[in-house]
Amino acid sequence: MEAKGRFLCFHILCCHCFDVVLSRVFSIFRDMNNFPMDEKNKQIKTAWEELFMFGYIYRKIRYLSLKKKNEHMLENDQQDREYSEPISSDLGKNLEVIKGIFRESSDLAVHEFNFGHERRFKGALIFIDNLVNKEEIHKNILQPLMYDSLLLKNDMDFTKIDTIRKSLISMTDISKETLLSGLLDKLLAGAAILMVDGSKETLAIKSGKRDSRSIEEPGTEVVVRGPREGFIENVNVNIALIRRKIKDTELCVEKLVIGDKSKTDVYIVYIKSVANPKLIEEIRTRLKRIKVEAILESGFIEQYIEDNPYSIFPTVSNSEKPDKVAAKILEGRVAIFVDGTPFVLVVPMVFIESFQSVEDYYARPFFASIIRLIRFLSFIISTLGPAIYVALTVFHQELIPTQLLISIAEGRDRVPFPAILEAFLMLFAFDLLREAGVRLPKPVGQTVGIVGAIVLGQASVEAGLISPIMVIVVSATAIASFAVPAQTDSGTVLRYIYLALAGAAGGFGVMMGLLATLMHLASLRSFGTPYLWPVAPLDLSGLKDVFIRMPLWTMSERPKAIIWSNRDSYNQSQDLMPSPYRNDNNDSNQREQGRND
Amino acid sequence: MNIEKGKISGQQLLFLIAGFVHGSALLIDFTVGITEHQTWMVILAGLIITVPVILSYVVLAKRFPEMNLVQINDMVYGRFLGKVISIYYIFFFLMTLSFNIRDVGELYITFLMQDTPFIFFLIVFTATVSYAVAKGIEVLARVSHLFVVTGLFAIISTFILLIDQMDFSNFLPLFELPFIKIFQGIHIVSAIPFGETVVFLMIMGCLNNTEHAVKKTFLGLMIGVVSLLIVAIRNTAVLGGIQTIWTSTSFQSIRLINIGTVLTRMDFLIGIAQTILIFLKCSIFFYVSVTAISQLFGLKSYLPLVLPLAGIEVIVAATVFQSPVDHATITQNAGIIYSVPLIFIFPPLSLLIAKIRGLPKPERGKGT
Amino acid sequence: MIKKNSFLIIKLIICFSMCISLSGCSGAREINDLEIVIGMGVDKDKDTGDILLTAQVVKKDAAVGGAGNGGGGGGDGKSFWNVSSNGKSIFDAVRQITHKTGNRLFISHNQVVIFGNDIAEEGLQEYIDFFLRAHEMRPTTMILIAEKKASEVLDAKPETEKYPAMNIAKLVETSGFTSHFFEVNMKDFASCMMSGTTASLAPSVSIVQEKDNKDIYVAGMVVFKNGKMVGKMNHDEVRGLLWVLGKVKSGVIIVPSPNKQGKAILEIVKAKSKVKPEMKDGRIVMNISIKEESSLSEQTTTENLATDKALEKLQEASAEVIRQEIMAAFNKSRELKADIFGFGEMIHKKYHKEWKTIEDKWDEIYQTIELKIEVDSKIIKTDLLKKPVSPIKKEK
Repeated sequence: MEAKGRFLCFHILCCHCFDVVLSRVFSIFRDMNNFPMDEKNKQIKTAWEELFMFGYIYRKIRYLSLKKKNEHMLENDQQDREYSEPISSDLGKNLEVIKGIFRESSDLAVHEFNFGHERRFKGALIFIDNLVNKEEIHKNILQPLMYDSLLLKNDMDFTKIDTIRKSLISMTDISKETLLSGLLDKLLAGAAILMVDGSKETLAIKSGKRDSRSIEEPGTEVVVRGPREGFIENVNVNIALIRRKIKDTELCVEKLVIGDKSKTDVYIVYIKSVANPKLIEEIRTRLKRIKVEAILESGFIEQYIEDNPYSIFPTVSNSEKPDKVAAKILEGRVAIFVDGTPFVLVVPMVFIESFQSVEDYYARPFFASIIRLIRFLSFIISTLGPAIYVALTVFHQELIPTQLLISIAEGRDRVPFPAILEAFLMLFAFDLLREAGVRLPKPVGQTVGIVGAIVLGQASVEAGLISPIMVIVVSATAIASFAVPAQTDSGTVLRYIYLALAGAAGGFGVMMGLLATLMHLASLRSFGTPYLWPVAPLDLSGLKDVFIRMPLWTMSERPKAIIWSNRDSYNQSQDLMPSPYRNDNNDSNQREQGRND
Repeated sequence: MNIEKGKISGQQLLFLIAGFVHGSALLIDFTVGITEHQTWMVILAGLIITVPVILSYVVLAKRFPEMNLVQINDMVYGRFLGKVISIYYIFFFLMTLSFNIRDVGELYITFLMQDTPFIFFLIVFTATVSYAVAKGIEVLARVSHLFVVTGLFAIISTFILLIDQMDFSNFLPLFELPFIKIFQGIHIVSAIPFGETVVFLMIMGCLNNTEHAVKKTFLGLMIGVVSLLIVAIRNTAVLGGIQTIWTSTSFQSIRLINIGTVLTRMDFLIGIAQTILIFLKCSIFFYVSVTAISQLFGLKSYLPLVLPLAGIEVIVAATVFQSPVDHATITQNAGIIYSVPLIFIFPPLSLLIAKIRGLPKPERGKGT
Repeated sequence: MIKKNSFLIIKLIICFSMCISLSGCSGAREINDLEIVIGMGVDKDKDTGDILLTAQVVKKDAAVGGAGNGGGGGGDGKSFWNVSSNGKSIFDAVRQITHKTGNRLFISHNQVVIFGNDIAEEGLQEYIDFFLRAHEMRPTTMILIAEKKASEVLDAKPETEKYPAMNIAKLVETSGFTSHFFEVNMKDFASCMMSGTTASLAPSVSIVQEKDNKDIYVAGMVVFKNGKMVGKMNHDEVRGLLWVLGKVKSGVIIVPSPNKQGKAILEIVKAKSKVKPEMKDGRIVMNISIKEESSLSEQTTTENLATDKALEKLQEASAEVIRQEIMAAFNKSRELKADIFGFGEMIHKKYHKEWKTIEDKWDEIYQTIELKIEVDSKIIKTDLLKKPVSPIKKEK
């Protein structure tokens, strides 16, 4: 017994040592990514670390790696400070500097000219070739400067840039630049820079030629009834489309520039009297916090400002249609436009929005309600379809009616795989097809579609690899997954998770998965609005638009959880139900008049 | 001062209580073995007896706004005795939580999925419950009405589907059983579904507005009681004299639904509804115990306690009883004795002492 | 804080996935591995005293691709398989069947349980426990008693159905058309057995051999007392019982026509019954009032029965027929000393104080019960014909 006790103690001690060492090693690996140099971290000295030297070795490695990182950061900082010097008044020197910066770029155009009386003044026009509208520059900048200036008084002093700006150049959108950095920014943004010898100020004239698509129907959001305009990549055109829908003085368009190298224009659009000022402030804060090199698409911004980066559910909605975005702005939300992409972000987003489409509001209530219920049902089918099928046929066969069970059993007789594996294979095959289908070149598109259908459907069943019911279930799932476009990505992940749970634990597993998902959804917030509003914090007035779509004349309030405060939450008058027997005074007068005719 | 900064509204409290009481619908089977066809009377009698007690809970909570049970005990009984009583409460919460978790496991291994090992259900269920608790009471309160609606839908639809198989003469001989059995039934019923609402003393501290707390509590209680009554009446009417032999009468009566060939096998519907409601019940118990422990020891947040307690609860639930028979015997005969002081004695006593001592005293130097 | 938590979360996820994936699937049964049982038969093996359990299992002929090869399958056309085995008890026999099938039986879709004659005579108390306790069994399963052996009944291949068990189930479910027997499921049977005084019944199935085919025929019902078979009741007696219980759905009453020259055949449309027990001075009187509506479906005489007087006479005649059926049932129950009507329970519910004293002597008291039967029979329609097909006698 003594020997046993000793052995046991030794065993426990060994396990303990091993555990501690392992956890230490892991914690050091984990801490290596942490940024410096806390005093606290340096003093993590325990007996174990000293004993095994692991701590010392890893701390040394960490110090060296961090040193390198810091030096690299300093280099970058230095580079940015180069351009913040003022422009000199010597034209030649300026031109040299600028040509030096753009030494490797051949699309910089520098045009030196003389103007003024007796061609006294020297000037230079600098622009990047493809970004400006040369016709405008010739007509509106060079022509007045070179020809019309002759008509002015002899002693006009053109080194004062203001005179040129206010009197000679017939273009709008001119700004004065005194710093080299500002000048370069404007130059790269598509302005023509006018420099005059002897003046420390320059003019940056935006001349706005931009090749872009024409406004056409967006590819991702096709409607049967409704406007078919879609946003394009030019953000000014996009904002113009919104302005056409909301002609209100309260519509605010705030501009931010985000991205060190891409200097992308980002606009925040909202209605001042409707949107919650705290929300706007929060958005501004979060956007200003983004310090990256480039913003290529609104998806980048979405991923930097969202509330729950670890969740699979999106809390920022996007859209390509101006009527949808305008409707959301009118409800009190805030839209974020990003230059270079037709997808506009709208915050905050609630879960129910993924099931609402613009068409619902243009059609009449009964049909719209049915379609909306179908959408809910298809979301349920697309996430839970294979899971319920597997759970029922593998674990709970007693819940299937007898005849159906016999048919399923007959179909599955030759299949060598267990049902879960079959389901996984089919889902995977479908996702593969979908992904390949998106990237196909057009000529090959038809072929792959046919091959997919025949191979995966017919041939597998006949070869005895898949049972026919599985094909039906997975096809229904696949088609249903496209009915709710905003949640396709989360739906795909959920589908696999529920399938795994169903295969492992049957109906119990699916139920626990659903409960966990529900808890997760209920705990999400999108910029302050609970994600499952109005279902989860139950708000009866908001429920008018969730499962069914009540007629438009009943929905006279803005969503409470989005505007929050006691602002003017009614956006239409209360008694708008249409009827031929309305007793407005005007109507009765008109009717009487009508009768008299 | 609350550890959890969440706030719940009166309506959410209503649904929490309704779901909580309804979650004990399967536990009614403990009484059915004793009181047979007079179960509905026992439920009503238990309700009448516990109504003043529950009233005392709500009045106590209103008197000490924004304070939960541990703090109230501290204030009323003094620091040492208050902590001892809080420890007693925590013991009650933890034991009842393990009984309920075990209930879910027994439900599954008896009826729905027999071959899976018992502890698997305990682990998975407790994991989901601890995830829900880690999210906080606000999240639970937000989804509580969904659970209640699901539960009500399940029992009302099964009631309607079973109407043609109901025989209301099964209730007849009224008052047949000897009073001692009725008394035992009332004891069980007042302790298990109704008495356990003492846990809401911890949650009422999170109310954002205690004006209508009494009304909402009783409305929630009524909804819960109506659910229990529907279940008891349905089971007695459908099964009649044979209901005492089954382990779970609800399941057996659901299995009798046979309408057309479509609506035949619906026992899983009740399984789903019951699991969801027991989930709500267990989450509330778990949340309350975790909050009470962290309040007792002065922790800033209860999150670190969730996982260790979950592990402990799983092991306790797996080992506390040997079999469902053991569970039933102990619950019917001995298991509720320890909860009687907590439910019937301490809160009204606290209320009395608070009234006598004039607690809570307004702090000096500060305005009202 | 987040970094610490993320490591903890990874550990948790690993543990959790291991738990779920390794232990959860023990309950998984692929459909291929199921032996779907749709009928069970219990007999007694005379030689060994063991139980001979016959299970009717669905045979899946693989109809792959659904290309229409479907049910044609093999030429022998048998899509079921009766597998049987011995065992000391029913559960033992169920498990012993795995010696022959290789997979566990899947009893959840069982439609009927047929007990052999020998088991019924011995008493069902010993055998019925498994069918109530096994979680896979459903309480809606029907009970039948075979006239001789249950395995023979399960063998009889029907003409219009694929599986004999489904055929039997259908037979019993549609008993309402004649109301000559009724469906008894496990729960009803067990309820009757729980009550100390009521006798339970079960339909009795026999095989009728016609040329080459074996047909299944339900000849009546078997009466049980405390689980032991004590006697049989034929169709009319069973209908008498059903009149009292109010479970008559439809059926045929044949009455002689008023002019005694033929018959009138009435189809029962609706029937209701009310039973009120009364205890007067220790004597029990059962007041049974029956309301019945029927329609004239056929007549064999040429008399015009569509007159008020004729209809009244027909109504009286049909009431008399009903009364006789009830009395026949009652007399049979008295002969068998079995309380098939459930009068005991009714007395219990109404006079539960007196019930405590008479409960033990119920058998004797049952013989002294008086029945007061009131029948109100109406003929509500005469289908399509008003007058019968016969030459119209000219009024003189």
